[in-house]
Amino acid sequence: MSGIALTPAACNSCFIPSSYSYSSFQSHFHKFKTTRVSLHSPSFTTSDPYVLQLAETFEDSLPSSSSSNSTLLKLREASSQSLLSTPWPSRRDEPFRFTDVSFLRNSQIVPLSLPPNPSLLSSLSLHTDNPPYLTIVGGHLIQSMSKLSEFPKGVYVGTLSAMDPDLTARVLELISGFNGGDLFWSINGIAAPDVTVVYVPEGCRVENPIHFGYFSVEGSSKGSNETYVSNPRVVVVVEKGGELEIIEEFSGTQGSGESYWTNCALEVAIGEGAKLRHSYIQNESSAAAHIKWTSVRQESSSTYELTEVSTGGKLGRHNLHIQQLGPDTVTELSTLHLSVGDQTQDLHSQLVLDHPRGYSRQLHKCIVAHSKGQAVFDGNVKVNRYAQQTDAGQLTRSLLLEPRATVNVKPNLQIVADDVKCSHGAAISDLEETQLLYFQARGIDPKTARRVLTFAFGGEVIDKLPYSSIRERRVPLYCMILKVITFGASCITVCS
Amino acid sequence: MFLSLPTIHSTSFLHLLPTTTSFSINRRRYLTTATATGSDFDKTPPQPLLQVNDLKAKIVENGVDILHGVNLTVNHGEVHAIMGKNGSGKSTFAKVLVGHPDYEVTGGSVVFKGENLLDMEPEERSLAGLFMSFQSPVAIPGVSNDEFLVMAYNARRRKLGLPELGPLECFSYLMEKLKLVNMKPDFLNRNVNEGFSGGERKRNEILQLAVLGADLAILDEIDSGLDVDALRDVANAVNQILTPKNSLLMITHYRRLLDLLNPTHVHIMDKGRIARTGDKSLVAFIEDEGYETVSALT
Repeated sequence: MSGIALTPAACNSCFIPSSYSYSSFQSHFHKFKTTRVSLHSPSFTTSDPYVLQLAETFEDSLPSSSSSNSTLLKLREASSQSLLSTPWPSRRDEPFRFTDVSFLRNSQIVPLSLPPNPSLLSSLSLHTDNPPYLTIVGGHLIQSMSKLSEFPKGVYVGTLSAMDPDLTARVLELISGFNGGDLFWSINGIAAPDVTVVYVPEGCRVENPIHFGYFSVEGSSKGSNETYVSNPRVVVVVEKGGELEIIEEFSGTQGSGESYWTNCALEVAIGEGAKLRHSYIQNESSAAAHIKWTSVRQESSSTYELTEVSTGGKLGRHNLHIQQLGPDTVTELSTLHLSVGDQTQDLHSQLVLDHPRGYSRQLHKCIVAHSKGQAVFDGNVKVNRYAQQTDAGQLTRSLLLEPRATVNVKPNLQIVADDVKCSHGAAISDLEETQLLYFQARGIDPKTARRVLTFAFGGEVIDKLPYSSIRERRVPLYCMILKVITFGASCITVCS
Repeated sequence: MFLSLPTIHSTSFLHLLPTTTSFSINRRRYLTTATATGSDFDKTPPQPLLQVNDLKAKIVENGVDILHGVNLTVNHGEVHAIMGKNGSGKSTFAKVLVGHPDYEVTGGSVVFKGENLLDMEPEERSLAGLFMSFQSPVAIPGVSNDEFLVMAYNARRRKLGLPELGPLECFSYLMEKLKLVNMKPDFLNRNVNEGFSGGERKRNEILQLAVLGADLAILDEIDSGLDVDALRDVANAVNQILTPKNSLLMITHYRRLLDLLNPTHVHIMDKGRIARTGDKSLVAFIEDEGYETVSALT
């Protein structure tokens, strides 16, 4: 165990209702302070007994062997500290105002800290069509199921614990500095069994995209209160002038009714003039929770392009944070969220511009096709004082296809600089009547027309997925989902 | 149902030549004369294709009455033109015929090919052989033109009990129709009406008419926003699409289109009614006197 140790007495006093007064938290705080917890963070104000218990659950589950690496230890220590200052989020916290995570709190959390049983791996269908790929199961990089073709000299793809110290130091230097994460970011920091690292040295252009296949093979069946949670953590560093493309694809267990929680984090550093294309496809099981953090730091003249398609999970939450570290950066974000059942898809994005002449485009689209379906978008763009001549555009469009389908959108720009070009827009609607009529006027029935129009709506983002092999694999699934939309609720029962 | 299969038009290439317009008029005139003389071929009286009787309609949103009792009969093989000043109800009439949801029929009847048109959904009206070119066709981002045409064409083939065609089988058929409206093949790859110029949108409407065919084609201001060359292209295409059996109802403000398409009947619409009906000579009269005078004569 590292970083933090709790007395049994402290753990037993858990489950204080969230309405508990501040003073009683205070008294707990003092109690802990007199125990072995050392707290340096000035932001430490309160601690949530439930979170403390959770932290201990995660720490206890880690095998002692994984604590031998000093870098991992440091990560865990820092995460422990920030975790202790963060209560479990409630609907009264702005970032979770529309997103309910209480079902996770109400379940029994079971960390997946050991590598999965090999017998469970045989059922995985790997995306062997386009190597190189990395298979990450339950947060563990499975070397035997990963295929890494020849990379240019100096490229490193592998675990943090196996990396040489000089490179480790360099990677840490580049990714440290982000402290805007929430409770889930900290949980990942404590519980990640290892970190998968992709390092691209200066001036190096990696030809083939690196495909991350994330799998969950352990889930609890319906009725069980257990939630298996995995904490994959990936770091991607592209040095000055380098170029890389990554694809992250999340898939669920075989039985779609099984529940589990993927709590993943990706840290990205893009050097001067370097370029990263990032595709992210979230297709977890329908009962799963998927919470992801993506933190990107962009040096001057660098380019970051993200294309996200999220369709799975009971809860899908993506926290995207992009920090500009120098002028002339290019940032293009395209996201498509699909909510076709009793599910919530949530994107919280923040782009912080601190330097001149940044260019950014954000397109967020969501389709809600179920009366209990929900989509949440909070898109923040900060144009700070020195970010003159910024060109920032943001557009969010939502399709609500069923009565009572819900979308909560909060596009927001904060502009301090005075010489900038910024735009944002939000549109929420059913399909356009005039477009439907146009199809009908040419003899096409409204059902087909609705399907085609819904498909076309999402197509604007799907078409940005870089490789046709991915698009093709995605499209049949997308078609299936659209069939559900077209033929209504009766089919949803059949599918789930 | 008229389906413009390639073979029907194999000879109509001649229509592209300057003299062909007169040829097509002659053909129509001949048919009219034949009816009058009562030859064996045309013993039967003209077959009504569309019968509109005292049609009244209002705008759904605000309840404003637009059509106040329209009467019109279009027989097989006839070319009709509706003229009238702005706001007289011409476009509303066309939209009501195709079942536009913005309008509600409050009275009267419409019989198309012997069936009650008002009972049909918009797509059923289309499949029954009614086509309207939209005055300002809507753009459909994300749906390519060829995808849209293949979908619509296959819906028609299904209705006719013909096997559906795959995209490749459709391709040569579409290419041929594309030549008719004088457009390049990349026109098919673009999204429906997205980023199209005014002229391209109009040509696209005619391309759809050519691909789908129709017993009655309603062209709502197909000439607005077109330059002289584009107008000639569009008119040529329409002339080639027409056969002695199918009919045309055009709505226009301009004489140029009438000269190219030669209507057999010209109607003047005023205040939601057909105020006056005549032949092409009515057009010259309007140009001299204006709509007010012509309408007042009734």
